Amino acid sequence: MSHDPEFDGAPREKGSQSIVLRGVSKEYRRDEFRIPVLQSLDLSVEEGEFLALMGPSGSGKTTLLNLIAGLDRATSGDVIIHGQNLGRLPETRLTRWRADNVGFIFQLYNLIPVLTAFENVELPLLLTNLSKSRRRENVMTALRVVGLQGREHHYPRQLSGGQEQRVAIARAIVTDPYLLVADEPTGDLDRTSAGEILDLLEQLNREFRKTIVMVTHDPLAAQRAGRILHLDKGRLVDDVSQESQGRIGAAS
Amino acid sequence: MKYFHYIFRNVRRNPVRTLLTVSSLAITLFLTMILVSFFSINSEVTSSVRIYNRIVVLSSQGFAGRVPIARNKEIAAMDGILASTPFSWFGGKYNNETMPFAQFGIDPDTFFTIYDELIVPTDQLKEFKGDKTGCVIGKKLAEDRGLKVGDPLPLKGDIYPVDLNLTVRGIYDGPTNRDRRMCVFNWEYLDELIKNSPQSRTNGGNAGCIVAKCKSADAMVPLCHKIDAEYHSSDTPTLTQTEEAFGKMFGEMMKGLRWVITMISLVVVVALVFVAGNAMAMSLRERTTEIAVLKAIGFGNSLVLFLVLAEAMFVAGVGGGLGAFGCKLLCDTVDVARYSAGFLPFFYVSLANATMGLVLALLIGFFSGIIPAVLAAQSSVINGLRKVV
Repeated sequence: MSHDPEFDGAPREKGSQSIVLRGVSKEYRRDEFRIPVLQSLDLSVEEGEFLALMGPSGSGKTTLLNLIAGLDRATSGDVIIHGQNLGRLPETRLTRWRADNVGFIFQLYNLIPVLTAFENVELPLLLTNLSKSRRRENVMTALRVVGLQGREHHYPRQLSGGQEQRVAIARAIVTDPYLLVADEPTGDLDRTSAGEILDLLEQLNREFRKTIVMVTHDPLAAQRAGRILHLDKGRLVDDVSQESQGRIGAAS
Repeated sequence: MKYFHYIFRNVRRNPVRTLLTVSSLAITLFLTMILVSFFSINSEVTSSVRIYNRIVVLSSQGFAGRVPIARNKEIAAMDGILASTPFSWFGGKYNNETMPFAQFGIDPDTFFTIYDELIVPTDQLKEFKGDKTGCVIGKKLAEDRGLKVGDPLPLKGDIYPVDLNLTVRGIYDGPTNRDRRMCVFNWEYLDELIKNSPQSRTNGGNAGCIVAKCKSADAMVPLCHKIDAEYHSSDTPTLTQTEEAFGKMFGEMMKGLRWVITMISLVVVVALVFVAGNAMAMSLRERTTEIAVLKAIGFGNSLVLFLVLAEAMFVAGVGGGLGAFGCKLLCDTVDVARYSAGFLPFFYVSLANATMGLVLALLIGFFSGIIPAVLAAQSSVINGLRKVV
């Protein structure tokens, strides 16, 4: 178990390992048809990068995110995350790997409605051997990081959309994972709440050195990322870092 | 235990559905307890009489036949016999109630020696022995009917064409697993009335059966053989057996009924598995995305399987516990037999039966939850999350 019992929300340095995809293809079968979704994709993401995936519907953004998060397996090629080739992990170990290394943020928050904010955030910690008091400590720290201290006893229905997403982010970071994956995290929020959530993601990336991969349709949200990948028909068609984008902007 | 909170919250997620499932289990287990206890009481009581060293002498024709009263004295005189009494079922009406309680013609001099677990005060027993039209009734019967010593107890003949005008001379008490709603009266009183009745004059001088108490347990079986051998070649051969075997013979008579009830109970249990399974499947279908989220954040297939099964067994356990132990509690606090119109002298649900009911409910929970649990455990995370991640 790689959960850090000393997690206190403070920033820390991680190793320099990155996300590496080599010749990754993914296809689905529908009856007798083979539907290619990703084709011979190569990608490298540095430790602590904030990456946005953009592209039209059906371009393979979510499939790519699922592969990086260990939710799905590539048809061919290697997906190596943090030095671990996910394709070689059996299902049980892959599940364990996700618990230890990945935090998930969903568009519709996907909180458990019958659990309070505290209990929702505590869920991933139930898989650890942490004591009840240590779990409580970590949950409160995560809620403090997302600015929801004092709301721990509220049920999802008693929170606004933005607050629900904050709880979801707290749930994603409570085990102090290496990687955060977010699929349209602001897709269901108004502009103000979306801005707050993006601020939070930026903060997690900047202060806590979390590697973040975010799928979005929103160019404004994508601009918060350090690097933007554009996919079309399962291929990478553009790879723009904000740094170079900044230079282009200055030149024009 | 750290998952109990999550399981409990899911149980409360849809209170109406949970309440209906719990209720259906509780009602079924309640009724199952009644049926199971009815048969187990019979077995339990039959086994418990072993210590009293009693044997029952019937006609070889069974209950339809009669045993000449002369046999009573002959058997009482046999070596190894402590005492014997005639035992004749009367089955009269009381206040127009048909067979309201058991009524037997017995020998007042020996009955309470043979049935020494039944206690009647010495002075009352003396009064009973001195009054041919007297009777002794059980404590429960006295309480049910508000009868006391000295009260008349008229019984209108139903099987016999004679009426008994009895007077209560004593009230006996005894262990809780004995019939304390019985009325015993002097067999001779009944016999005299039968002999004087033009319709049944020829039926006099017979007992339904004879019950004898042996001096030791070892003597019982040899005495049964001896008695039957003694009257084997007579006009009225006998069938003698221990009281326990006699009770089992009654049980055998209900064997068919027991089988039918067991089969019906099994079918009901299977139907209940489907009902509870359907409720569980519906509940999980509504939680497809939640299950996918759990699996995404690291809940393994076996843990998901455990959580769903635990939830199903929790609901079934609560229902079964309420039904089984509720039934026991009811029977412990309320004298259910009183409302059985004389059919049951006493009734209780043993702790073993109630526990068995709870275990049965947990099994129902397990089998109702296994298919939804396996489906949840094997469900695809990607499909569950749909377009989300």
